[in-house]
Amino acid sequence: MSVSTSDNARQTLRAFLAKYSILLAFGAIVVFFATASPTFLTPTNLFNVLVNNVVMLAIVALGLTIVISSGGIDLSVGVSIDMASMIFVMLLAAGYSGFVGVGGGLAAALVVGALNAILITRLKISPFLATLGVLFIGQSTQQLATSGGQPIYLTSGYAGDQFNAIARTALLGIPTPVIVLILCAIAVYLLLHRSVFGRYVQAMGAQPGVAWHSGIRVPRELSLVYVGCALLAGITGILLSATVKSYVPLSGNAFLLDAIGATFIGTTLSRERKPTVAGTLLGVLLLAVVKNGLLLIGWNFYWQQVGIGLLVFLVLAASFGLRRASH
Amino acid sequence: MTGISKQFGVVRALEDANLEITRGSILGLVGQNGAGKSTIIKVLAGIVKPDSGTIVINGQTVGTLTPASVEKLGVHFIHQDRLLVPTATVGEAVFLGHELGAGPFVNRRAMERRAADLLKRFFDMELPAGTLVKDLTTAQQKVVQITRALAQKASVLVLDEPTAALVKREVDSLFAVLRRLRDDGIAVVFISHYMQEIEQLCDRVTVMRNGTDVGTVDPRDTSIDKIISMMIARDVGEMFPKRSVSIGTPVLEVSKLRLGGSFKDISFDVRSGEIVGLTGLLGSGAKEIVQCLFGLEKADGGSIMVEGRQLSLSSPVHAVRDGIAMLPEDRRAHGVALGLTVRENISLASLDRYSRGGFVSRDTENQAVDGLIKELSIKTPTRDALVRELSGGNQQKVAIAKWLSCQSRVYVLDEPTVAVDVGAKVEIYNLLNRLAGEGAAVLMLSSDLLELVGICDRVLVVYRGELAGTFSGPDMNSDMLLAASSGARSIAAGVAA
Repeated sequence: MSVSTSDNARQTLRAFLAKYSILLAFGAIVVFFATASPTFLTPTNLFNVLVNNVVMLAIVALGLTIVISSGGIDLSVGVSIDMASMIFVMLLAAGYSGFVGVGGGLAAALVVGALNAILITRLKISPFLATLGVLFIGQSTQQLATSGGQPIYLTSGYAGDQFNAIARTALLGIPTPVIVLILCAIAVYLLLHRSVFGRYVQAMGAQPGVAWHSGIRVPRELSLVYVGCALLAGITGILLSATVKSYVPLSGNAFLLDAIGATFIGTTLSRERKPTVAGTLLGVLLLAVVKNGLLLIGWNFYWQQVGIGLLVFLVLAASFGLRRASH
Repeated sequence: MTGISKQFGVVRALEDANLEITRGSILGLVGQNGAGKSTIIKVLAGIVKPDSGTIVINGQTVGTLTPASVEKLGVHFIHQDRLLVPTATVGEAVFLGHELGAGPFVNRRAMERRAADLLKRFFDMELPAGTLVKDLTTAQQKVVQITRALAQKASVLVLDEPTAALVKREVDSLFAVLRRLRDDGIAVVFISHYMQEIEQLCDRVTVMRNGTDVGTVDPRDTSIDKIISMMIARDVGEMFPKRSVSIGTPVLEVSKLRLGGSFKDISFDVRSGEIVGLTGLLGSGAKEIVQCLFGLEKADGGSIMVEGRQLSLSSPVHAVRDGIAMLPEDRRAHGVALGLTVRENISLASLDRYSRGGFVSRDTENQAVDGLIKELSIKTPTRDALVRELSGGNQQKVAIAKWLSCQSRVYVLDEPTVAVDVGAKVEIYNLLNRLAGEGAAVLMLSSDLLELVGICDRVLVVYRGELAGTFSGPDMNSDMLLAASSGARSIAAGVAA
């Protein structure tokens, strides 16, 4: 009797560990860095982590969460980021108002998303190849538009100053970019987990044939998926330019792999291993904290990559192993 | 093979089943879907490990069988689904796993030449050198598979539904080959749903039912009816529950529908309260008709009307909106999403009913889903269990519940009872009766002729893209349907005209 009870308890514990492995890993890592580095838990550092490492990556990853839920992938998020950033900065530099700048930037990202949507739903190219093609074209376009990749800077006197100020200030104690992230996260949560559109996305991701045989307008819903992802990437692009007061060609691609990684780490939170908004946000936090922590304890950039690789591997291996054992 | 038992989870697939295969004789193996035919064959093939029982080959008891060891013993299988590499040449396919050549190098030309010789010798068939498997017709692929077995000097040849995709002439030449192989001393096992073929070809017939063999008879002095009654556990009346429904006005009206080389001039209607069967051999066009009705294929001409309204069905989106429900044959690819929950699957096609302003109202949805789970007695732990965890029959019920939730008017069913066990079949028949009872129009495509006779008010038979006959009433039987679907009726009609 006592044996079976303790077996039961062990099983429950394993299931618990499997489900919350990412949360536990996150907690353990925070404790580790807090003891290893005196500056880790200071407000300044946490503000830095949040604003510089989390917000932009998280918004891109939210877009990818929708795309990956639908069974696809978007390799061109970097292009959406760059295009939004480029048009935004060019418009401000030409003396247009902030509204025009933001509108133009987001419109540029939407064009990238629409191009993906057309390639995938009309020409029936696989999402991987379609967005890879857009990635190549987008990179060359930027180089052609900036005489080989020259950055464009926002000098004083432009509306860029105001944006830079907004990006660096806080509203009710919360940094403005964080507010943007919270709004985006709520919107994506409602869309993906509460709306009819979200159900269609999940169905397309689980079994596209079933979605089609259930009367779902698969091409239309898929188009919205890619346009939505590009829009979120575009928001990131504008935040990026406002923060660094410039447009640096080809800087968006740096987000791609981290965003994909965060989304997949987040899937360990769900029973069906599906991407979720909460999981993605946790995945982003985990990556950001590790990067920042390794920097603080004196690891250089190259070793940080090794550390992150090992971390991803450990979280996934632990989660899969525990889950198999609990079955 | 004696006393073979096999249990899959809670399902007893085989219970103390026996099978005796003798040299120089053709053994027919018959039974309903789920009777254990394919499981016992898979045991022999080394694909499924039996829980108990012994297998003796040539007087020697063999232990664990693997597909490779079975092939070494000279037992070869021609499976129902083509198991050939589509991009291989005919020569490569015939010698797959036994390539001709020296050392690590393959002599492709020698293989092509030998394959061509064999094809010519056994089937009098000539193919251009280097033809790719994917460019062959289904019948030719079947022939290549048999040739592969012959090239390996098979002593036992097991064919699972080999004639399903063949036309009459090809069937005749296949039978001639099989008879010659028998006379050469090879043991042939022939699995088929077509009783006429069994009668024509086999020396003995083993009938399986509920996982065990219920008898072996000589088909030449046993009537087909006797064999069928051995196959069916309960009497047909119980298997196919009857109902009394008043048949109303036409709900689905199809007239002069045609699609390229698939079918032409198809006109029929399905009335409210009526279950109409549709059948035809592979390639007859019956399947394509069903696909046109759900917008999966776009008809080239003709009209489809539901309740008097002309429909333009260019995609399933339109079909669903116009009240047509479709139960696809490939349940896992098109019917239910295994990775979604029972709830998500059931409400998928009718989310508009359960949502406000684009957001799903979980309360309304849960209520409707719980109602349907209860109504159809879907066996699931909770509404939030993954459909993957359900049995085949219950998955099929989820697929039907999806359309009940839509309150569709026309139900188009494509082989609704394929790969569900006998008990679940009866439940599905009851469900179809209930749909019809509530005034829906049901059109059911099936190749199970007994099922069509048992449950349909009327059966339409398609032969070579045309309606070859409509059968109804108490005199309808599966032989009539089979004759019409293999062209006998239309030939007779042609002579009469």
